[in-house]
Amino acid sequence: MTGRETHKTKAFVLHCLNYGEADLIVTFYSSDFGKLKGIAKGAKNSKKRFANVFEPFSLTSIIFTRKSRDMLAFIDSCEIIDHYDAIRHDLEKTLIASYFIDLVDHFSPEGKKNEKIFELLNNFLTLLGQEKTSDAAVRFFEMRLLRLAGFEPTLDHCITCKTPVANGTAYYFYAQEGGIKCAGCAKPERYDQSISAGTVRTLLLGKDMDIDKIKLINLSNSLAAESRNILIGFITHVLSREVKSLKVLEQVRKLCL
Amino acid sequence: MKAYAQPIKRLISELAKLPGIGEKTAARLANYILRATEDDVCKLAESMVEVKRKIKLCRICLNPTEEDICYICHDKTRDQEVICVVEEPDALAAIEESGGFRGLYHVLHGALAPLDGIGPDNLRLSELLLRINNGHIREIIIATNPNVHGEATALLITRMLKEKDIKLTRIATGVPMGGDLKYIDKMTISKSLEFRRGM
Repeated sequence: MTGRETHKTKAFVLHCLNYGEADLIVTFYSSDFGKLKGIAKGAKNSKKRFANVFEPFSLTSIIFTRKSRDMLAFIDSCEIIDHYDAIRHDLEKTLIASYFIDLVDHFSPEGKKNEKIFELLNNFLTLLGQEKTSDAAVRFFEMRLLRLAGFEPTLDHCITCKTPVANGTAYYFYAQEGGIKCAGCAKPERYDQSISAGTVRTLLLGKDMDIDKIKLINLSNSLAAESRNILIGFITHVLSREVKSLKVLEQVRKLCL
Repeated sequence: MKAYAQPIKRLISELAKLPGIGEKTAARLANYILRATEDDVCKLAESMVEVKRKIKLCRICLNPTEEDICYICHDKTRDQEVICVVEEPDALAAIEESGGFRGLYHVLHGALAPLDGIGPDNLRLSELLLRINNGHIREIIIATNPNVHGEATALLITRMLKEKDIKLTRIATGVPMGGDLKYIDKMTISKSLEFRRGM
């Protein structure tokens, strides 16, 4: 018989699910174990042990035990490292942070460690807390996460003729084929929207740009709309469903932001 | 469950659909019902059907009620110009139990929860706006829960009402009465210092 092993790790809270009268099943993204699910007994009524610790996108330090990798972990303790107060004081930032963790949840298989995704989430939540919200930050987060999750779309050259992106050329994005085609290779339908080389270059730039410089990028309306269409269309295609938190973000933006 | 007769099996499976009730608890409840007098069981069944048939939402505050308008909205001695906005009817019940509030309420029936796809369209915000536009409202007290979802809902309501000439307030956050500081979590302590009051 194998015993239960105890582990300690830093983890972001992704999602909580009510379980029975007082328990919670919490999904974390941890630095050492990737995405992991654990049960926190009595968490809903807890005033001391688990008080305020399972709030979405909080960075926590957890101690858990589990028998094997594929079993639900038993959360022994959870302490807040950062609950991102600056994000929680701002409606748009809260919604964007929720979108970030929703994407990480969708693109991370359970139990697969990826420190770079943990770092990405950490960096972008810190950026979101410190700087004004921008479309650029959201798009660059999507680009980087897609790359780390192994779903990076091909944007640096035409997927048919392999010609590198050149200024002044119009491109079309094909989510099913995972990349762009130049106007010569694409056979666009009437309703297909072309995208400019500027949009493609901005997204490529954002993929590797230093995190401190992202705050300096301000996307024009057309560039923001084009890059949103490319990435949201691609993410929806890869996941085969809409991302709920994005839908809510856009509903709120339309209503009052 | 094999050993039980068909009607008991059906009762167990229906009871097991209730929140927090597993199959074993459902079997225990079913056995209790089986042993109870017919009169008691009829009363239980009738009360369940009655709740479902008679209870509707108050036309004004959306609190579950038997009448068209609930007893709180009916009470003209209450302050008609102050509305306390809550997430769920049980929050309203808790505030009423405290006896510390003599205004009216508005139940949103949820809170903004982006990860569950609950957005402004799923909350009863349009009814609140209608009440504000039609009545003389002096103050809105936002009493959503002090967690991420409740705070986001409070921020959303604030944004929606910022153009209106209404005083917007948020319930206080801090250490509970009779509490001991050494047992209070970090976030609550920092909030209690942030929102400290003059003496």
